[in-house]
Amino acid sequence: MAMVATLIAILILFLTPYLWIVMTSFKTRLDILSDAPVWFFTPTSENYPTIFIDKNYLPLVWNSMIVASFSTILSLAFGTPAAYVFARFEFPGKEDLFFFFLTTRMAPPISIVVPMFLLFSVLGLTDKPIAVILAHTTFNVSLVVWMMRGFFADIPREIDEAAMMDGHTRGGTFLRVLLPLAAPGLAATAVLCFILSWNEFLYAFILVAFEGRTLTVGIPGLVTPHGTLWGQVTSVAVVATLPILFFTFLVQKHLVRGLTFGAVKG
Amino acid sequence: MRTNRIIERVLDHGVAPLLLVPSVVLLFVILLGPFLFMVWTGFTDLHYALPNRDGAFVGFDNFRRLMQDDPIFWHSFWLTMKFVFGVVLVEFAFGLGLALLIFHYIKNHRFILTILLVPMMLAPIAVGLIWKLLLSGDFGMFTYYLRAIGLADLQTSILGNPSLVMPAIMLIDVWQWTPFVTLVILAGLLSLPKEPFEAAIMDGARPLQIFKDVTLPLLRPIIALVLLLRGIDAFKEFDKVFILTGGGPGISTEMLSIYTYRINFRDWDLGYGAVCAFMVYLVVLIMCSVFYKAVYWNEGRSKMAGKAAA
Repeated sequence: MAMVATLIAILILFLTPYLWIVMTSFKTRLDILSDAPVWFFTPTSENYPTIFIDKNYLPLVWNSMIVASFSTILSLAFGTPAAYVFARFEFPGKEDLFFFFLTTRMAPPISIVVPMFLLFSVLGLTDKPIAVILAHTTFNVSLVVWMMRGFFADIPREIDEAAMMDGHTRGGTFLRVLLPLAAPGLAATAVLCFILSWNEFLYAFILVAFEGRTLTVGIPGLVTPHGTLWGQVTSVAVVATLPILFFTFLVQKHLVRGLTFGAVKG
Repeated sequence: MRTNRIIERVLDHGVAPLLLVPSVVLLFVILLGPFLFMVWTGFTDLHYALPNRDGAFVGFDNFRRLMQDDPIFWHSFWLTMKFVFGVVLVEFAFGLGLALLIFHYIKNHRFILTILLVPMMLAPIAVGLIWKLLLSGDFGMFTYYLRAIGLADLQTSILGNPSLVMPAIMLIDVWQWTPFVTLVILAGLLSLPKEPFEAAIMDGARPLQIFKDVTLPLLRPIIALVLLLRGIDAFKEFDKVFILTGGGPGISTEMLSIYTYRINFRDWDLGYGAVCAFMVYLVVLIMCSVFYKAVYWNEGRSKMAGKAAA
């Protein structure tokens, strides 16, 4: 029992930094800048409207949603069929190709974003959401391939065989039989793609500067050496993180699998 | 009628390439294209801020500069290495300990896991922001309590002190990512077969002995996996440092990603920047192939997945 109590104490301590930022977003400037930390205060609701309406940060939420949604759709559309092939077919060079997908997921953004920036400038794509959508698709496609391969492999092959006996082609089997069976996995993968794209900073930061800014890109600009308006920045941070935490809890069951590239099933 | 037959045959026999090729082409175009472009840029003198530097071929000049004339790059390199080894070791030790505690003492761990997930699922830029506020020299909550217990004197702000700032960033990374290690190891512990443990208990082995001789060897693949994944991720660290210190004070937190960013997007020295970016890529690629060999190649993917299945 003592052990359980200690663990719970540790966990509360562990969450304090995040709770502090949520609290700060409801504090007045006076409470935030006070010398001693203020734990009990009269909450103010002025920070959120000020930053999102008066300072026009609302479009950033919209941009983040556009970028995350479209890169998720694109990644699923390209990645799921490939995952099925990896799960069901044998062909020469298969594992090498699979490794290639892994390297695209692991590639350091800083090395890819430089040439991407040069290329997109030439194509006139910078500061448009499409630039970030494509950039995020590079890492999400391979996440889909790795995660979905495992979900397809979990479906017994007998089901394919039965479907083909019933007159489905292989393509038909994939679309009409396996895809519906893998739907829960597909949903979890989609949510994870969405989260990773929503949270991503470096690609978005380099590729869009003004109109196309996402929420994460909007954060550092608000932090200045002198006179950061912490109430407002923390409001942005809370809006950027709370929906994601909610999504996380939805897919908690599949999260370990997703974050270890299908190697460990949670 | 005939076209129908052809479509049917394609859907039956040609389906593998049909489904696989689009994703490969997509990645080649949006990833390998820019990558090759970067390699090419590394052989030129492209510079956006200086006149007459419009991308003439200069051979291996940039590589020579990197190897011989750039102490800051190597400072960043070793700083990054220390960061990677430091955080991975600490996160592993804490993560393993916490996973064992939860495994042995908590029956229903769903609630605890939910809480543990929070820091690792926050946008890294938000994590940086949180700690920037907490560690602020004037009104930071953490700074206040550190001073109250006498651990920091009144003058210093932790993020402005060259000898404290790097350990602070490492601790922040530990806060953010220890739960990941815990989650993965816990999933591994839950998936271990019961028989070896029962046999060891029958033989009268003590708990510590069981842990050393049964648990650890069985967990080895999972441990390798989690160490490598964290290592690769830590090597790429950018977001938190960018918002916390931007590489400062001076260059005391200028890790490789930050340095490469500065060369490319502050100095606009794109030819040389491409070489720096290439080096970062190379290190990650090496770590990545070790990861792949360690976790998938030897074990055989399906066997591994089957063993880890809960």
